[in-house]
Amino acid sequence: MIDTLIATIVSGLVLGSLYAMMASGLSVVWTTLGVFNFAHGALMMIGAFVAWTVSEAVGLGLLVGVASGTLVAALIGVLIERLLVRPYYGNRNMLLITVMTTLAAMIILEKGAQMIWGARLKQLPRLVDGEISIFSATISAHEAILVVLAPLILLSIWRFNVRTNTGRSLRAVGQNQRSAALIGIDVPVAFAIAFGLSAALAGLTGALLGSIRFITPSMGAEPLVKAMIVVIFGGLGSLGATAGAAYVIGLIEALLILWLGLYWTPFVLFLMMIVVLIFRPNGIFGGRQ
Amino acid sequence: MGRLLDVSRVTAGYGSITVLRDISIGLDAGECVGLFGPNGHGKTTLLQTISGLLKPTGGTISFDGADITGARPRDIVNAGLVQSPQGNTLFGEMHVLETLELASISKRARHGKAQNLRRVFELFPRLDERRTQKAKTLSGGERQMLSIGCALMCAPRLLMLDEPTLGLSPRLKKELAAAVGNIAKSGVPLVIVEQDVEFLLSLTQRLYMIEHGEVVREIDGDNAPDHDAIMQLYFGEAAH
Repeated sequence: MIDTLIATIVSGLVLGSLYAMMASGLSVVWTTLGVFNFAHGALMMIGAFVAWTVSEAVGLGLLVGVASGTLVAALIGVLIERLLVRPYYGNRNMLLITVMTTLAAMIILEKGAQMIWGARLKQLPRLVDGEISIFSATISAHEAILVVLAPLILLSIWRFNVRTNTGRSLRAVGQNQRSAALIGIDVPVAFAIAFGLSAALAGLTGALLGSIRFITPSMGAEPLVKAMIVVIFGGLGSLGATAGAAYVIGLIEALLILWLGLYWTPFVLFLMMIVVLIFRPNGIFGGRQ
Repeated sequence: MGRLLDVSRVTAGYGSITVLRDISIGLDAGECVGLFGPNGHGKTTLLQTISGLLKPTGGTISFDGADITGARPRDIVNAGLVQSPQGNTLFGEMHVLETLELASISKRARHGKAQNLRRVFELFPRLDERRTQKAKTLSGGERQMLSIGCALMCAPRLLMLDEPTLGLSPRLKKELAAAVGNIAKSGVPLVIVEQDVEFLLSLTQRLYMIEHGEVVREIDGDNAPDHDAIMQLYFGEAAH
């Protein structure tokens, strides 16, 4: 019994790390632009496919592959901002319009990936082989790297936001665009940086996930939905709350899978999300406004 | 020619609504000018157009000889033309010190950062006391100080202040007026929008009265009207 519980908690930790990396990317774009990027999952998928092409098909090795996956995702993220988000800036219905344009980006990227890479399942090798035991639970060393990497990445985003002028200017733009412009911040550049950073995070997550799960054109859909649940739980906007919520959701999901099975777990998660939205519209960790 | 700021026959507005009609103002280096007139007649719109937040549909704006018509706000700040906007419009979740440091982000302002920060804290000791407080927890007067402080951190060669004493208590108003006077004395040319004409007259050499998006009257030291005349400008015959 205890063994099962520990195993479940550890797998919850792996899921939580994955969701934390996905959700923090969504949160960066949301806090800077006020846009919910539905193509975030597709960017993750692009990261995985590019990593596969560079490391497997071209044969440059996994590390170069992961780096290129991250970079290409970031570039596509900047492109999405430029072509599908920026033209609608200042429009009264911008939130709604960008829901549609980023959804369109998701579809284009997914179908495009299917055309380029085909429908056959692909997988990346692991960064390191071997397994690691935590108490009685065993996870692959690759998953362990993910678990260690996620908090480090969150921490560096946080530091970037608080300490650097660029990070501060992203926050400033998110809080008041006009005032930001009036102190000399280049607002369009801030938008591009936010989108690029967020997409890089998605690409990196995808490239790392490609060793654990199969790489398919629709592999980003499920993590995106989970990341959405996370940001709703955490309340969009605060990185700390988003990270906390990611781990909570990861653990809850692992426990639900243990008790209810894979089939009913999404159902219960969405039910919880609805309840949270009714009683705490700003999220469980989000402050009241 | 050699004017520091030259706004020439500018037309601007929001969508199909024209707010500024063929408006021209200007100032020379070392000069302070005031803008006054009824609310909703284009003073703030004029400042926003000069700062690049609004693109003029006609006319030209030049700063220190360079054409800045339709330039991006960032480039205008970089050139040294800085605005402290009206009201409580800063970054609510950011600390005072963080905000001030960020305001020196432009290339021009970066190397003078420490010096400018010291100057801002000298001018507004209250901000020094509230370094680590979030902007949203500041009082109205303190937010106004932070807004002006931010503008000073941009190392302005010309500073535009949009109603720096709006909605403040008489005591705070005095404090801010004194600070603005200090800034003027330190040699930074100012464009000040204010309702209080006497305050403007004490600080500036020239006033423009703006009504319906046009300059309806220009007042300088030689033809300065007395109190009654100004009241009449504002309220018409009812002032009597």
